[in-house]
Amino acid sequence: MVTIHINGKAVQAEDGEMLLTTIRRQGIDIPALCHHDAVEPCGSCRLCMVEITKKEWNGWSRHVTSCLYPVEAELIIATHTPYLQELRQTIIELYMARSPHSEVIQKMAGEYGITQTRFQTVPDGDNCIMCYACTRICAELGCFAISAAERGHDKVISGPLREAPVDCVGCLSCAQICPTHFIEWTDDDTGRTIWERRFELLACKKCGKKTITKDFAEYQSRKRNLPMSYFDICDDCKRMELSKTMGRIVVSAEEATQ
Amino acid sequence: MKYRFIVEPWLCTGCRTCELACAFSHARNLKPGRSRIYPLAHAKDKYVPVTCLQCDDPACVKSCFFNALRRNEETGAIELDLGRCVKCMACVAACPFGCALVDEVHDEIVKCDLCQGDPACAHFCPSKALRYTRLP
Ligand code: SF4
Ligand code: SF4
Ligand code: FES
Repeated sequence: MVTIHINGKAVQAEDGEMLLTTIRRQGIDIPALCHHDAVEPCGSCRLCMVEITKKEWNGWSRHVTSCLYPVEAELIIATHTPYLQELRQTIIELYMARSPHSEVIQKMAGEYGITQTRFQTVPDGDNCIMCYACTRICAELGCFAISAAERGHDKVISGPLREAPVDCVGCLSCAQICPTHFIEWTDDDTGRTIWERRFELLACKKCGKKTITKDFAEYQSRKRNLPMSYFDICDDCKRMELSKTMGRIVVSAEEATQ
Repeated sequence: MKYRFIVEPWLCTGCRTCELACAFSHARNLKPGRSRIYPLAHAKDKYVPVTCLQCDDPACVKSCFFNALRRNEETGAIELDLGRCVKCMACVAACPFGCALVDEVHDEIVKCDLCQGDPACAHFCPSKALRYTRLP
């Protein structure tokens, strides 16, 4: 544990944890789009910037992405200086130009009182802000199914060679983690579609409720040594089975003592 | 593990007090959470309070690729770190007892956390079918 100072308040923090974690633990709200606890930080959205200094820096300060900056003893941090607010507003305006139709960006702009962007809007700009949360979570999973393809303006997230990702197991983690809800998927009676791939959804052998994709169950089974039989029935039916099994034990114990 | 959660189904009357206690003690934004425990009838008027067994070799922990599920060695509970959860449903599908649950109201995955060592359900169970006791 080390002591740091956030907005004038002395705070205890875990040595080496990222500043953003400490700041958020204090209940201080700073925007962050590309951060998620389940993936390695990458500092791409720049929204989580804070000002840091130390006593011995003789009045000098730095602006750093807090999601990527490890805590050090005696850091002095400011999270909402006028300069930082201006910086965040500029970044939000850039995102408004990049993704003019994103509700998440619009909401964030609203919170900062921004009504229009001073940058030239990409009229058909999609909602992908290139934060790589999706590729990072897929890597965490060990699938590495998606990555960035092409360069510059044409850069997109997709499977290798801009084709449907062969290594995708259809778990939806990428779609769930995407901060701007850009990644689309659909579930219907016959299966799931994501990244232009079609997946079979497992159906509970008792009640028919759809659970996860067959590929994802097989992936867990292979990587984590879970028997495929664990995926035979759904959670509702499993709880009913648990009640019945325990019930049987109770009944036979009662009979034995009579 | 110093403590153990004990369920004695033959004492359960199916009154569902545990369910209320759980839902309210896990409330957020003034909305009760999905209860992590509830009595299920296996025969007429015979109930088993069904909840997470905090397995020694937990399938949910194995199934989570993001380390969102970890054992609290103090309480013995397997706790879900919501910050790391991406709702991939792996644990919900993998738990052999169906005790990783989807809370539709809060749009979250939930499971029994033994209330950080003071389970509300055991506290309120009027027939003492649920107990949380220190191991000798
Ligand atoms: S759905 Fe496919 S691409 Fe997305 S995280 Fe899962 S495996 Fe990776
Ligand atoms: S739903 Fe959440 S806790 Fe469960 S396996 Fe997926 S990421 Fe882990
Ligand atoms: S959250 Fe730190 S740069 Fe995006």
